[in-house]
Amino acid sequence: MIAHVAQTGEDRGRVVLQLRSGRPSVIALEAAVRVARAFQSEIEGLFVQDEQLFDCAAYGFVQEISLSGRQRRAVSAAGIERDLHLAAQVARRQIEALARRAEVPLRCRVVRDEPLRALSVACAESGPWNMVALAEPFTAGNGGMLKQMLVEIAGSTGLVMVGPKAKRVTGPVIVAVEDSEQLPAMLKTAERLAALDGAELLLLLIASDPERLHWMDGEARLVIEGREDVRIQSAEVARGEAAVVAETLRRLKGGFVICRFGGLVVPDEGDLRPLVAALECPLLLVR
Amino acid sequence: MFFKRSQQSSGTVTGSGEVTTVAARPQPLEAAELRRVVDPATLGFKTTEELHPITGLIGQDRALKAIQFGANIKSADFNMFVLGPPASGKSTAVKAHLGPKAREAETPPDWVYVYNFENPNRPKALQLPHGRGKVLAKGVVAAIDELRSVLPALFEGEDYQVRRRAIDEEFRSTHEEAFEALNNKAQNQNIAILRTPTGFTMAPMHEGKVVKPEVFNALPEGMRKEVEAKIETLQKELAAILERMPKADKKRRAQLSELNEEVAKAAVSDTLDDLMSSFADVPQAVAYLQAAGRDLVRNVGIFLMTGDEENAIVKQPVDSAHDVRFRRYMVNVMVSNGGDDQPGAPVVEELNPTYGNLLGRVEHIAQMGTLVTDFLLIKPGALHRANGGYLLLDARRVLLSPFAWEALKRAIKAQEIRIEQPMEAAGLISTQSLDPEPIPLNLRVVLTGDRELYYLLAAYDPDFSRLFKVQADFDETITRSTENDNAYARLIASIVKEHALKPLDAAAVARIIDEGARLADDREKLSIEIGRIADIVREADYYASQAKRKVTTRQDVARAIDEQIQRADRLRDRAQETINRGIVLVDTEGSAVGQINGLSVLQLGSFSFGRPSRITARVRLGAGRVTDIEREAKLGGPLHSKGVMILWGFLAGRYALDVPLALAASLVFEQSYGGVEGDSASSAELYALLSALADVPIRQSLAVTGSVNQWGEVQAIGGVNEKIEGFFDVCRARGLNEEQGVLIPKSNVQHLMLREDVVEAVRHGQFAIHAVSTIDEGIEILTGVKAGERGPEGRFPAGTINRLVEDKLKLFAERGRSFSKGAGNGGGGKDEQ
Repeated sequence: MIAHVAQTGEDRGRVVLQLRSGRPSVIALEAAVRVARAFQSEIEGLFVQDEQLFDCAAYGFVQEISLSGRQRRAVSAAGIERDLHLAAQVARRQIEALARRAEVPLRCRVVRDEPLRALSVACAESGPWNMVALAEPFTAGNGGMLKQMLVEIAGSTGLVMVGPKAKRVTGPVIVAVEDSEQLPAMLKTAERLAALDGAELLLLLIASDPERLHWMDGEARLVIEGREDVRIQSAEVARGEAAVVAETLRRLKGGFVICRFGGLVVPDEGDLRPLVAALECPLLLVR
Repeated sequence: MFFKRSQQSSGTVTGSGEVTTVAARPQPLEAAELRRVVDPATLGFKTTEELHPITGLIGQDRALKAIQFGANIKSADFNMFVLGPPASGKSTAVKAHLGPKAREAETPPDWVYVYNFENPNRPKALQLPHGRGKVLAKGVVAAIDELRSVLPALFEGEDYQVRRRAIDEEFRSTHEEAFEALNNKAQNQNIAILRTPTGFTMAPMHEGKVVKPEVFNALPEGMRKEVEAKIETLQKELAAILERMPKADKKRRAQLSELNEEVAKAAVSDTLDDLMSSFADVPQAVAYLQAAGRDLVRNVGIFLMTGDEENAIVKQPVDSAHDVRFRRYMVNVMVSNGGDDQPGAPVVEELNPTYGNLLGRVEHIAQMGTLVTDFLLIKPGALHRANGGYLLLDARRVLLSPFAWEALKRAIKAQEIRIEQPMEAAGLISTQSLDPEPIPLNLRVVLTGDRELYYLLAAYDPDFSRLFKVQADFDETITRSTENDNAYARLIASIVKEHALKPLDAAAVARIIDEGARLADDREKLSIEIGRIADIVREADYYASQAKRKVTTRQDVARAIDEQIQRADRLRDRAQETINRGIVLVDTEGSAVGQINGLSVLQLGSFSFGRPSRITARVRLGAGRVTDIEREAKLGGPLHSKGVMILWGFLAGRYALDVPLALAASLVFEQSYGGVEGDSASSAELYALLSALADVPIRQSLAVTGSVNQWGEVQAIGGVNEKIEGFFDVCRARGLNEEQGVLIPKSNVQHLMLREDVVEAVRHGQFAIHAVSTIDEGIEILTGVKAGERGPEGRFPAGTINRLVEDKLKLFAERGRSFSKGAGNGGGGKDEQ
């Protein structure tokens, strides 16, 4: 959706919101709604009942350990089903309230499948221009999962997600630029997000040496063609430390960050912990 | 029927025989005696512009002395009650007198309420040197403003963030990494850890996916047991990690809190240091700032959230003074003294002295359907504002406001201002609300009110005399003298200045002074009803403006007075009309036996007018009783009844010393359908009775007013001017015939301030005012027959009124006796009533 819709000017697309528990992040839900509003698209709330849980229930010796670690109970299919049903209702009510307020079309459904496959199927069913939004905050250990999602879900153009410290969706829309080739598409996406509430547009140029930064600055200025509503800021990351980039993003107090997967912000195989610790707004991750 | 009613001329022969007529009518009063006017030339100025306006009191030495005493004495219970008529300028005069004194007095301290960090329901009252309350309030707002920018910057800073990350990292290492390690360990053992809606569970895994149960069950038992054992071990380890998490998190929070406090403490202390230094001389303020500082450090988190988040409902940025997060640090300035425009002690007048306006109140605001309050919603009352100075209150308004009087007394007695809800003070509600610390009270209360109210309070409220020991009694009038006339002119000049009116020329001032005497109902006095005088001056100014005059003239003043009367005299016109059309029977010529024109005054608001009424008397043989028909019909008041009884005493004492008073008489105000009160008609009633007894007619061209005592002396009455003018208007409407006039008590001559048209008529002999001091003088004027005095032999001369009356009474006595004898022989002797 990002590249295609933004570049071709097409207005339609779809946000597939993955819900997995009854405690979704409110900021994540709001982020999904904002993206839908920005692209005049609808949201498909997809509550995924992980079928592996039902497989677990078939094992007599498996127990469920409570979040406090103090209680244990036998796992049953009926119990899992009841809990998932209730969780789906709670999540549905929350996203419905937000979507109604934002006048965004919403439909919700529950599927029992393996989570990644469920998303792939949902995206494949409705054409190629989907944006996948995750309702649960990502953690430091989710790096592999993100890669898998971007690789395996062919019908999606990006991922919208939040970290555990997410607390706002308002503020400058920051485009983390590591590769000026993607800048036009990312800038158009940022413009549409910023247009929702007149937010500032900020290009954060990230490179590991001053020369590259200088070159990227020139490229960026060519793209923005002297526009005064776009601010450019540079971040030199000498040793490519993700922590420095993450801290820079935190200080900019953005309302949305747009970046590509596999760079300094979200490394392909690297450590996500700095980002998890610093990210306070939603992240729109593109390939 | 013993007597007939006749219409005859004066001095004619009556049914009783020849009468002795008076040789010459007594001289009526001269025109000059009917009105005292000021000669403008004697005032010594052309217009009021030349005069220095007077701001204090005139002719009120007694009241002035009392106010001075009350203002100077230091005791708390020597409060003042200034009593006098309404609109007499009491408040203005008191303020004018107290103002300069207050300006010279020591400026009282400021009082503020601040949050009580130990007991939030009991806000602290701080006393600060005058003018410093607002400084403290502004200083606190400035400090909070500074902290709003300093603290977030500090907490965003690299130093803090590094230290914080270290703490977080420690937590992660003790928890998340343990979790991660367990996850890795499980994966290595082909065990999957899965998240359920309420916790975690585990299952055998192959190639990243949970093994289907049927596949697992197909495995050899030994392998299955091994997997089960691995899962059991891992579950225990997971439970242990999860159990440790709250403790680790608690430790993390404690470390964070310590870090936050350390960072905040330095900033808060830096920010508040300057303010504390500037209030070093006020230990209370310093103690408060220290407590606020400790609280700020404890609650530094409120500076790290944005105002928008906290005030999401409002959705607009708010300044520190209005940001709900910082309310508890604000300073509520209850009273601030010593501004540039208000040096010295305050003089406060509270025009609406309700309970809340006097003692202050704790207001509430509606929030999410409930009413909430805090110390910033404590509002000061008049007692707070006047503390250290003077508080002026209208006594009637205080008494009419529920709970206000008792609360005022309580505050004066306790010498402190305690803000309570009235219902709370009465013990009727026990809802928890604020209980602000009381503020010490030191002020002088000045109540103003009329005399009746003062004496009622003195009689019925035992606290009143104890708390209001100074009585400043304002006279309604001042004695007329050249000096006071001049002071009156300066008073008019002050009215002109206060209302920014055109100046008045001397003739206009003279006319107002004349009107002042008229309002006083006494030509030797001047009314000091400042309100009414001011009304006349302002209305005259209006007419002068209409006539495009730069100076208000006598003509304008006269018009103002006339127009005021005209606006109010609809009922007077209606009363006159009923007389002129013969609906109400009043004769103004001819003569009649037992019939006389009495005079009464009707008061309608501030306007009063006189009206003649026919009074008739009838007599006959009886058992010694005068029937006052007004009283019998319950239309007569007690004073009127008293007057009738006095005249009965006169008759008995003068004419029936040695015979029984075998008389039955009836007296009535004809066509009177309202009540009759007062004894001013008692002389008229006596004249009518004497006329009826003597069978001598009374001139109907005359009207009479005056009360009488048992010795036949005619006594002063009120409203003499209105009464004369009332009869004059009736006569003038019918045509003045030079016979008409009014009899008034001699002692009322000093009160005459008649209208100019009446004076003119008297000057031209068209109307007459007779001043009499006895009934004998009056009856001679009314009947033209001599009254007569007892001779050496104890008898009145023949042909005189008194002789005729005495003879008639003796005749009644004899006939009564013979009638009784007849009745004793078998007839009835009962009086016919």
